[in-house]
Amino acid sequence: MVVGLREFTLRTEDGSGKPVLDESNGEELKQVQPSVAIVLGNRPVESPGTLYITSRKIIWLSDVDMSKGYAVDFLSISLHAVSRDPEAYSSPCIYTQIDVEEDEDESDTESTEVLDLPKIREMRLVPSDSSQLDTLFDVFCECAELNPEPVEEEEENGDSWVFGADQMDVRGGGEEDAEWQMSQSPTSVIGHTNGDEGLAQPMLELQINDQRFEDAEEMAHDSESKDHH
Amino acid sequence: MLFFSYFKDLVGQEVTVELKNDLAIRGTLHSVDQYLNIKLENTRVVDQDKYPHMLSVRNCFIRGSVVRYVQLPPDGVDVDLLHDAARREARGG
Repeated sequence: MVVGLREFTLRTEDGSGKPVLDESNGEELKQVQPSVAIVLGNRPVESPGTLYITSRKIIWLSDVDMSKGYAVDFLSISLHAVSRDPEAYSSPCIYTQIDVEEDEDESDTESTEVLDLPKIREMRLVPSDSSQLDTLFDVFCECAELNPEPVEEEEENGDSWVFGADQMDVRGGGEEDAEWQMSQSPTSVIGHTNGDEGLAQPMLELQINDQRFEDAEEMAHDSESKDHH
Repeated sequence: MLFFSYFKDLVGQEVTVELKNDLAIRGTLHSVDQYLNIKLENTRVVDQDKYPHMLSVRNCFIRGSVVRYVQLPPDGVDVDLLHDAARREARGG
């Protein structure tokens, strides 16, 4: 379940260099922040780049190297905060902690030279315009809330699986099996085109008859009242 | 929903949130949502030697699913109220 940080290089082919989003699954762009540098773990700063915040994840794409980009799902972000103390980091930034798969030799993974993205536990996003930090923080909060743990969904699946099993038990008996088919088949007959037309025709005739009948009654009333006067 | 309403009552109080990665952050509870995501203000890391970079953080958003414990102020617990609420929750009301 825990994915962590990953490479992201899917850009639209219209030349804008924007990331390709999973729009068919409802992913939408919430915020674009140009001129953002990124710091992964203790690695050196990478810039310049553009930050894209979607309803699902954070994407950082390099402005110069079109094959360079990173993404992390909100599901994997443990916490985020605004960092302004120059002692912690030289520039004000959004500080994030990323949930990673627990590993036995985790202590020395970050110090190794090889970039192992899923092991990165910290990410800093440094916008050149630091007045945007609070806005970015708020957008991060909003999007994090859009991505609750998928636990409930799993529970629902579990329920429906149990429910499905119950249904199978009920249908186990021979009689009920026949009933099930009975209730199914009339529906399909009514739904049939020929059946519809056959039904519609008498209905129309019936209505015409009704109208004539009402008209006749009214006319009768009219003539009656005329008679009285 | 019991914990959600319970934590909502604690807004404004000083709590310590301990994460599953052992990081413990103390701060004023600013808000909590239905997923028990927690926003803290005026935060400080309890074990500052271990997490020196978190010193600078003044407010933060913590994902509900990574929280292991929330340490409450002793007077932040109304035991009777919590008893009642827990009973109601257990009855499914």
